[in-house]
Amino acid sequence: MDAQTSPAPAGARAHKVRSSFVSQDIESYPLRFTGSGGEYFRVWIVNVLLSIVTLGLYTPWARRRTAQYFYGQTLVAGSPLEFTAQQRRMVMGFVLLMLITLAYNIAANTGQDTAVGLLLLAGAVLSPYIWASAMRFRLGATRWRGLRLQFTASWKEVYTASWPVFALALVWFGVFYGMQMLSPELAQVLESAGEEGAKPAPPRFTPAMGGLLALGLVLTVLCIIRLEYNYKGLLVLRAQVGAERGRWKPVYMDFVKVWLATLLVFVLTLIVFALAAALLVGGTSALLPQLKQMGLFIVLLILFAAVFGLLLIVAATAPARAYREARMFRLVWDNVGVSQVARFKCHLRPGAYVWLRIKNMLLTLVTLGLYRPFARVSEYRMKLESVTLHVKGSVDQVAGVLVKQQQGGLGDALADAVGLDLIG
Amino acid sequence: MTHAPPPQTSGPPSPVDAVELALPGHGRRPPSREAREGGSRAAAQGDVPFLQARWFDGLSSKPRPVLVGLRATPQGPSLVLHPLSQPGAEPAVFTCRQVGWPEAWNERRPQPRVVVDLRDHGSVEIDAVAEWRAALAAAGERPGIAQRMQTRWPVLLGVLAAAAIGLTLFYRYGTPWAATQLARFVPLQWETSVAENVLAQMDHGTLKPSELPKVRQAQLKARFDALAQQAPPDLQRYAGYHPVLTLEFRKGMGANAFALPGGKVVMTDGIVLAAAEKGLPDDALVGVLAHEIGHVVYRHSTRMVVEQGVLNMGLGLALGDVSGIVSTGASVLTGLAYSRSHEREADCYAIALMRRAALPTAPMGRLLLAIAHDEDEKEKKEKQQGGSKAEPHPVWSLLSSHPDTVRRAQELEQGHAPHCS
Repeated sequence: MDAQTSPAPAGARAHKVRSSFVSQDIESYPLRFTGSGGEYFRVWIVNVLLSIVTLGLYTPWARRRTAQYFYGQTLVAGSPLEFTAQQRRMVMGFVLLMLITLAYNIAANTGQDTAVGLLLLAGAVLSPYIWASAMRFRLGATRWRGLRLQFTASWKEVYTASWPVFALALVWFGVFYGMQMLSPELAQVLESAGEEGAKPAPPRFTPAMGGLLALGLVLTVLCIIRLEYNYKGLLVLRAQVGAERGRWKPVYMDFVKVWLATLLVFVLTLIVFALAAALLVGGTSALLPQLKQMGLFIVLLILFAAVFGLLLIVAATAPARAYREARMFRLVWDNVGVSQVARFKCHLRPGAYVWLRIKNMLLTLVTLGLYRPFARVSEYRMKLESVTLHVKGSVDQVAGVLVKQQQGGLGDALADAVGLDLIG
Repeated sequence: MTHAPPPQTSGPPSPVDAVELALPGHGRRPPSREAREGGSRAAAQGDVPFLQARWFDGLSSKPRPVLVGLRATPQGPSLVLHPLSQPGAEPAVFTCRQVGWPEAWNERRPQPRVVVDLRDHGSVEIDAVAEWRAALAAAGERPGIAQRMQTRWPVLLGVLAAAAIGLTLFYRYGTPWAATQLARFVPLQWETSVAENVLAQMDHGTLKPSELPKVRQAQLKARFDALAQQAPPDLQRYAGYHPVLTLEFRKGMGANAFALPGGKVVMTDGIVLAAAEKGLPDDALVGVLAHEIGHVVYRHSTRMVVEQGVLNMGLGLALGDVSGIVSTGASVLTGLAYSRSHEREADCYAIALMRRAALPTAPMGRLLLAIAHDEDEKEKKEKQQGGSKAEPHPVWSLLSSHPDTVRRAQELEQGHAPHCS
């Protein structure tokens, strides 16, 4: 075992630091992941098989196993994390979620527009609640050195932090009415849309309308960034390990900069794709005379092109998405800490992460998804091991506050539905 | 104030704690008084091996040195915790159900450190993972199916085989059966309203009003109504399901006929003209209509909705984590298999109904062959180079929504098919 993994002797220094007035030495603990792709493949294939045998009902157990595997192999200052969610709660949340989905599907398929509208509206209004309960569940189920993490934000704080959601609705309300003011023809089109057979001339598109639309889009993006900033900040500031609270340093402009850089990466990817496509089309047009004789294969080719086009959209956005994820990860983990006791440093290289993601995506595609567990482990490892924990004093000094086992579980299942991953 | 003092040990921690903790996780500890006591107690209870561990009580991040022992009980292993820092303290015993037992991920290469969940009493960190596993096995651990699959290849392969067989059986027989049963609860009004919507959409898009003369339409409608009258009650799968069967004509979509849920059957001009071109009697068209009535009576559209719902949800949950391509592919292929089985059922119905009406099914078979032949010709013309007749590759038959036309036509000509009961 190497020097990194023996923090247990750190306890030897427990008596040293009892007050923050003493000049303290700072200890560094790089975070470590001790699992492997092959091992997780086994965990994953067991989950997949049991899900198949139980027709999907195994999902909550599978989620728990996955979380326990990743947490148990994650060493923070030498101590593994623990995932301690109650299985019963997770199953209940899952069943409830399935029932809601079923109700929604039945309502949608039988054309009950009122019920569908009500369900969607409830979902929108409750989304901050769902997010917060998911975070409460996730932190509450995490334990380190016997101490439970906690998310202590009140519902008022959560809804206050969610103001960009409601601003977003206002922006689009404004754009919608502004458009109608600027172009009376558009209003007519909208009015006659409900009537059968009426097909008036399409409205002219004026520069003013374009400007309004662009303004709406910019404001939308700014709102989304603000929401992300608010939520991430709230999560860190209201997270607690024992009695120690989280510390948060990033400012809104940091987030905007990450998004601007992401936009640049996206544009660059598009240019590369366009060049590649131009070369490819040049190549195939030379083959065209031969293709004409192939008849039926043309149809297949078109079908293939359609599927390929869909993949292309995913592929074109992948580098930008990976880049944003890496930059955001570094920004957050380089600028947070635990009260005055500890702080994190992150040296994740976005370029390396983007390449890893592209490589993983290709291998997953080629293996029809069988490479996915290896991909997940390699990405998790790269992100986690880029983080170093610097502790002022010793890791033994954090005192706990009595926390009962968390109640939620529904939050987890709902979080699953809205795409918040437990790992990552 | 950045931290509260640990509640148990107020005052400066004893240097003994520090020394004990400073020892590496493995290895024998020096025989301290507590350890000797614990050891003798263990010996009295049947030589339970003790493992050094760190106990976090949930109140502070400061570990306390403990010895962990496992005892076999009828309910499974129970955990005994001997605190070493408090001389003379009673060992704490946790029954099997009070402990969250960590799963073993890898028997050959155990993780460097394992954490045992003691619920509200905190957690215990153990470095000697291999010894821990051995002690658990000795104490009569009963691993769950997931863990047995995780650590034993034969179990994994066994479940793999069971999953393959089970999945095949479920989607081959289970889902169609469930769909047949569930369709009983779907009201007729729902079917007719769906059919109206669908037809309205198609009228906007691919379909145009029929250009057949009114007389011809009336002629065929009369034959259709007569046929519908003769629909035998013993072929009725859904008791009390009496949709109003009506025939409509449209132009477009080539030579075709289709049934909508709730009793509406649509015939295109193309198929009527194709029959006339080949000089086939109207019995051919009546046979096609009988086939479509079969779809209506067996409620195939409604069953397909249920089947697709089960497919998408079930396969999405089961295979969604593998990849979207695999789960969608599986769902599409199975959906096509259901569609082919519906076609066969409708063929059987047509054969039975035509026999009841004392009409021949052979003309219908010839019509199907002729239409398929025409389509082949068209393809060949596009290909320019004919040559060998394309044999349908087995893979293509998987990708088809209808069974092989030649075999269908043969069965119809003979007026009986092996798969019809």
